[in-house]
Amino acid sequence: MLTKTKFVAEDLKVVGTRPIRPDGVPKVTGMAQYGADYSLPGMLWAKILRSPHAHARIRSIDVSRALELPGVKAIVTKDDFPEQSFDYIGPDRVAVNYWHMTRNVMAREKVLYEGHAVAAVAATTQSIAEQALALIQVDYEVLPHVIDVDDAMRPDAPLLFEDMITRGMTPPPTKPSNISRWAEFKTGDVDAAFAKADAVVELSFKTSPVHQGYIEPHACLARFGADGQCEIWSSSQGHFFVRAYTAKLLGMNLGDLVVHPAEIGGGFGGKTVVYVEPVAAALSRKTGRPVKVAMTREDVTRATGPTSGSSMTVKVGATKDGKIVAADAVFKLQAGAFPGSPVLNACMCSFSPYEIENVRTVGYDVVSNRPKAAAYRAPGSPIAAFAVESVLDKLAQEIGMDPVQFRLKNAVKAGSPTFWGPKHAHDGYAETLQALMAHPEYQKPLGKNQGRGVASGFWFNGGGESTATIHINEDGTVMLATGSMDVGGSRASMAMMAAETLGVPYETVRSTVADTASIGYNHVTGGSRVTYATGMAVIEACQQIIKDLCHRAALTWDVKDEDVIWENGHAKPASPEVGSFEPLSLKAIAAKRAVTGGPIVTESAVNAGGMAPGFASQFIDVEVDPETGAVKVLRAVCAQDVGKAIHPSYCEGQIHGGVVQGIGWALNEEYVYDKQGRLENPGFLDYRIPVASDLPMIEALMVEVPNPNHPYGVKGVGEANIIPVMAAIANAIERATGKRLTQLPMSPPRVLEALDA
Amino acid sequence: MLDEVGKLIDPPLVRVVFTAGFSNSYTGGVREFQVRARNMRGVIKQMDDLFPGLGEVLEEDTNVSVDGELHEVVYTQPVYPGSEIFFMPKLEAG
Repeated sequence: MLTKTKFVAEDLKVVGTRPIRPDGVPKVTGMAQYGADYSLPGMLWAKILRSPHAHARIRSIDVSRALELPGVKAIVTKDDFPEQSFDYIGPDRVAVNYWHMTRNVMAREKVLYEGHAVAAVAATTQSIAEQALALIQVDYEVLPHVIDVDDAMRPDAPLLFEDMITRGMTPPPTKPSNISRWAEFKTGDVDAAFAKADAVVELSFKTSPVHQGYIEPHACLARFGADGQCEIWSSSQGHFFVRAYTAKLLGMNLGDLVVHPAEIGGGFGGKTVVYVEPVAAALSRKTGRPVKVAMTREDVTRATGPTSGSSMTVKVGATKDGKIVAADAVFKLQAGAFPGSPVLNACMCSFSPYEIENVRTVGYDVVSNRPKAAAYRAPGSPIAAFAVESVLDKLAQEIGMDPVQFRLKNAVKAGSPTFWGPKHAHDGYAETLQALMAHPEYQKPLGKNQGRGVASGFWFNGGGESTATIHINEDGTVMLATGSMDVGGSRASMAMMAAETLGVPYETVRSTVADTASIGYNHVTGGSRVTYATGMAVIEACQQIIKDLCHRAALTWDVKDEDVIWENGHAKPASPEVGSFEPLSLKAIAAKRAVTGGPIVTESAVNAGGMAPGFASQFIDVEVDPETGAVKVLRAVCAQDVGKAIHPSYCEGQIHGGVVQGIGWALNEEYVYDKQGRLENPGFLDYRIPVASDLPMIEALMVEVPNPNHPYGVKGVGEANIIPVMAAIANAIERATGKRLTQLPMSPPRVLEALDA
Repeated sequence: MLDEVGKLIDPPLVRVVFTAGFSNSYTGGVREFQVRARNMRGVIKQMDDLFPGLGEVLEEDTNVSVDGELHEVVYTQPVYPGSEIFFMPKLEAG
């Protein structure tokens, strides 16, 4: 059982410092092994045939000509994947439906978006595999398609699933539609409360789906042996879910599949899904040879999950003194080709920073002919925040309040109710607003065509299942392994917490990520959970091993275990009465490991609770070019409650990264489709994520309100930072131009259109 | 648990709360219950006694808030006299 310690910042020697990251040198020297870097003798290359249509029925697939091409070793289609039962497994917000998943990996009756996988070829070279794709004959019956969420909800919209009845409505609808799920959260009497408001603002919004934009495309290598044992090397946000999903889709036992974690080149939620792993494994099973699949950038954009586009309406009312009395919102989120947008998160996060007695949020999960949505940094919350925080800004203007003061007046604190259920248990939001107000730039006037926008955001942060092992090497150095993929610096933060707990230098702890056969289960690296939950497993393992080390010292000194304490990396007598013994270092105890019981090793597993949510508040200054409509972000000041920064540089990096992605979402990124529903901008030249020259000074203000449930005060840091950005920029544009933009991206043509209106 | 004279002490009363949607699906629309329990295992067992099968749903499909603190559903999680035990949908990772 983990011993919770009181957070004492002044005693920390390693936590809070900025040591060199363990993955830095391999990455900058090109030595790091990403998913596409693995090879095996006899390896085949696989290529995936993708649908050219946004929506079509598959009448037949003829692979005979492709199979005759010399060098082609196998082709897989839907027939190589067992049918799955239609069940939503698990809780609503994370429900898995393998009937949908197997169809997303390989289309069966219909293709549901351009880029949908239809068949895959394994061949001796990439070129032969490409040639073989062209020889596969697919007979399609092209069907009408629908992309936009509002269009998809119309009664006469083309249906992706002819039998889909909306879940969550009572009574259920009698007719099928593209609305997969309906949900409502409410508290108080919203309609009556609006009548008491002195000012009410209601606006409607649309946002474009945006991709996570991870630099490394999905890639994996699979080797299926004649004994039925399979190994996969892939980059993902969790090799345990890769194992679970792949095994399920191929009808395997978990124990017959080992997944090795490759280095990951970005995920941001988008690598919590399998696309290529089941395909590579199926081809390897069929050929008996290792098979590698690597997506192109265009494959990634066409066929992997972005976050949802949306259509939203938000209405908020407040009294003249700045108290919000009522809030009402409808969020319609595009799920893509299969159900499962983050609309429930949007509903719940939307007004969570504010203490409001009367709230109603309604959500719709809507399928359309696009790739299935995947998680993206605080899934759902940034979408809702764009609408909510825009409306709050306009409301603050209407009642003549400073936007930060307005938010502060309504900010939740520990004990405040949420509109969706339990009370908030932690502070942290008000502190981020106070950090903005204290910033020297906040009150400084801006120039012509310039504006300053404020916005905030809430994210739950996660806990959950994690495992850590520690082995004290023969020379007293420390091997630390977890099963959490390192996407944001967890190898460093785990090593730092281990070094702090053990009282040894950071440089003596080697931190690694173990494969699925070498360590207990770990949930995905996502939800900003790893530093918190896996960190708890690491600390608990350290505490266990300290107990063992004290026991071995007691054996050496012929005293009782309780007469030995652990201090500054050494076993020491608990008091002078115990005897006069020289403290024993890790190295000294490790040298006597054989006679004191053998290797010094321990494993700890937790299902961590007590996680605290993340709050972020930002002000962003922009300048709008009235002739071109281009928006230049001049400054971003980003306050976030990080609990306690284990490695401050990584926390700052998370904040910088989230804000950069938010700027892209706000100003540039969108999918452009032609009339046939085909994507016209699948490459990074046309799907424009921000580059360094687009970006301003991003100032990360780390607010530390420690979480008392974690020995070092940790709160998740990875997601809250992206939430406020789009609204803060929209609010800044409005203050610069007097024009309220309600559609993302706020690209130059759209800004110009607003200026000219 | 026994008191100082060896008499069995009842577990404390705690308040169990569900979301409206959850209660419509599993408890006939009733959102709040009072049960006696010392830990999450006790809470789940009491609720499963009232609604057979509900225990598995609570274990598999929910996170839980104990007096506002969010937790994974773990049997050993202690609960206290008057605690508010709020079951809610699990989190999605990003």
